[in-house]
Amino acid sequence: MTDLATENWKDSLMVEPPLGVESNQPLSESRAKRPIEIARTRLLVAGTIFALCFAVLGVRIVDLAVNDEAEIARSTTGREAGTLGLARADVVDRNGMLLATNLPTVSLYVDQTKVIDPEDAADKLHAVLPEYSRDTLIKRIAGDARYVWIKRSLTPEQEYQINRLGLPGFSFEREERRVYPQGPLFAHVLGYTGIDNRGLSGVERGLDRSLAASDRKTPVMLSLDLRVQHILAEELSRAIVDFKGVGGAGVVLDVDSGEIIAMVSLPSFDPNGKKQQDDPNQFNRVTKGVYELGSTFKAFTLAMALDYGVVDLDDGYDASMPIRIARFTINDDHPENRWLSVPEIFMHSSNIGAAKMALDVGATRQRAFLKKIGLLDSIKLEMPEVGQPQSPTAKEWRDISTMTIAFGHGVAVTPLHLASGIATLVNGGFLREPTLLKRPAGVPAPGTRVLKAETSEIMRRLLRLVVTDGTGKKASAPGYLVGGKTGTAEKSSATGYRKKSLISTFVGAFPMNRPRYVVLAMIDEPKGNEATHGFATAGWTAAPLVSRVVTRTAPLLGVGPLDEDAAPVRHEMMVNELSSGAKLASF
Amino acid sequence: MIRPGVLVWIGAIVLMAITLFFITYEVQSVEKEVAALNREAIAQEEAIHVLRAEWSYLNRPERLSSLAERHLALQSVAPGQLIAAQHLDSLPVPKLAAQGDERLQDLLKRVVGETEP
Repeated sequence: MTDLATENWKDSLMVEPPLGVESNQPLSESRAKRPIEIARTRLLVAGTIFALCFAVLGVRIVDLAVNDEAEIARSTTGREAGTLGLARADVVDRNGMLLATNLPTVSLYVDQTKVIDPEDAADKLHAVLPEYSRDTLIKRIAGDARYVWIKRSLTPEQEYQINRLGLPGFSFEREERRVYPQGPLFAHVLGYTGIDNRGLSGVERGLDRSLAASDRKTPVMLSLDLRVQHILAEELSRAIVDFKGVGGAGVVLDVDSGEIIAMVSLPSFDPNGKKQQDDPNQFNRVTKGVYELGSTFKAFTLAMALDYGVVDLDDGYDASMPIRIARFTINDDHPENRWLSVPEIFMHSSNIGAAKMALDVGATRQRAFLKKIGLLDSIKLEMPEVGQPQSPTAKEWRDISTMTIAFGHGVAVTPLHLASGIATLVNGGFLREPTLLKRPAGVPAPGTRVLKAETSEIMRRLLRLVVTDGTGKKASAPGYLVGGKTGTAEKSSATGYRKKSLISTFVGAFPMNRPRYVVLAMIDEPKGNEATHGFATAGWTAAPLVSRVVTRTAPLLGVGPLDEDAAPVRHEMMVNELSSGAKLASF
Repeated sequence: MIRPGVLVWIGAIVLMAITLFFITYEVQSVEKEVAALNREAIAQEEAIHVLRAEWSYLNRPERLSSLAERHLALQSVAPGQLIAAQHLDSLPVPKLAAQGDERLQDLLKRVVGETEP
């Protein structure tokens, strides 16, 4: 019994051994081994699963402690440094000078349901915002709307004062305001935005998509040069004051890239101030206004006749008698009353000669030519204000149209068209779309050849001739070899042409041996003064303006002065085909 | 009776708990610091942005030219006053330099050196 009992005790001991205790009882070894093995394995599996669970929990604890905290912290601060959360990209000039930017401001709104005493609140607010009458404020404050604007874009001082009033229901919201540090100088080019930061006019409208795009870190770089723009605007406004004009337009254009370096329309307006959509000063005379630009068109007439091979430089026309056609008479403004060679027609700006020349080319070819150099279609520009040129339809384009268009009446284009057309005449004959965006340096701009290279070469000489010996002498800027063409046109109105309302234009390029820039100046309704002996024509008003602009801007544009009287330069600009005996300096 | 293995485990757990506790606090304080620095950086960025606008406003050519007119006795450069660097020899400057003005000599060397690679 005892034996058995002992045996039993031993057995029971063997069946449930304490964990980790090894038995070396030889008696029960074979019998007890299997269950122990099974138990161990189970224990191991369970232990591993628990260990894994705890490991996961542990990792999660560390994760919560370290990482999640970070995310919460980040989400509470809003955004990270280095990402200025502005709603609109900056606009800079070609040298990176700031032209338009967004500045943070605060706006005041009211939750009308939370206002206790609207009249009292209106009284207090009226003291801080005197521009709003008490009644207006009450109307905005009383009611049960949750969100009503009181005033957008407060000054920091106003914000402080309103904060100090401690009115319940009133709150501020951070907003952004578009600011134009250069003021009226770029008003027409840049345009402006509405209160919601959407572009309404100018480049702001034309490039609205890229300015408001999600990648707003890089500013939009325009082709304009702040310094040149300033000089052009300054000289133009001085001329407008001097000649009591009603307005003016100016363009500086890179002939090789089509980049617009400066573009001024006067009078201007303040883009930072209050803007009325119907303000006449917002009218862009450079890109939107279409004008009959007068004799400047003779440059195209000559280029056309030369390019088609209709005339050579030693041909000429009899300009001694006015042309009478239908009920019109075509006269010369600077009459020579004799046979004029082709260069003389240009340099004395003979209407008769140009009309006869155009007639020889013919209406169809004239229309095709003007179309080819882009004068009959509106220019695609990075802004919505582009004018559609006015011209007769192919059917209406009769001989009389051909003759008047030859000297710039009958086709109305924008000053930018004229500048672009002249650029084509002098840059070797390539038509390039003008652009307001800076082009990468060193990459040739795309262009289509519309003129023979020889025609362009002759036009350079002829344009130079106008400045050395013709109607544009006052455009000369010694050292910079200016060439160009004057144009004085009578403004057309419902009752016909008005003798006293002129558009005086000078369009030139420099340096003429290798033209780099076109400069255009137009004065709207100039009146002669004592200094000009009463003349308001382009040669007296617009030409000297171009001279000053070239002298001041050429060093900035990287054009060095050259000796105009040096033999090689004279040779390059030589025009031989002038009538012998004709006085070169005749005006 | 507690075995040494269990002791080791308990010790490890306590140690880890304490470490975790401190790490958590350290992380929190570092996060706060980062947030503060971030806020400060944003404030500085905004300030720089506003100052850039003001700088541009103060540098309007119109204002600069009126200031220059008032305070400087300078005139615009006339075309005749500009000369290409390789033509410097035709000016009296080299002669002056030869007479011993060292600064002028240096300047001349630099200008001519830049244009003649």
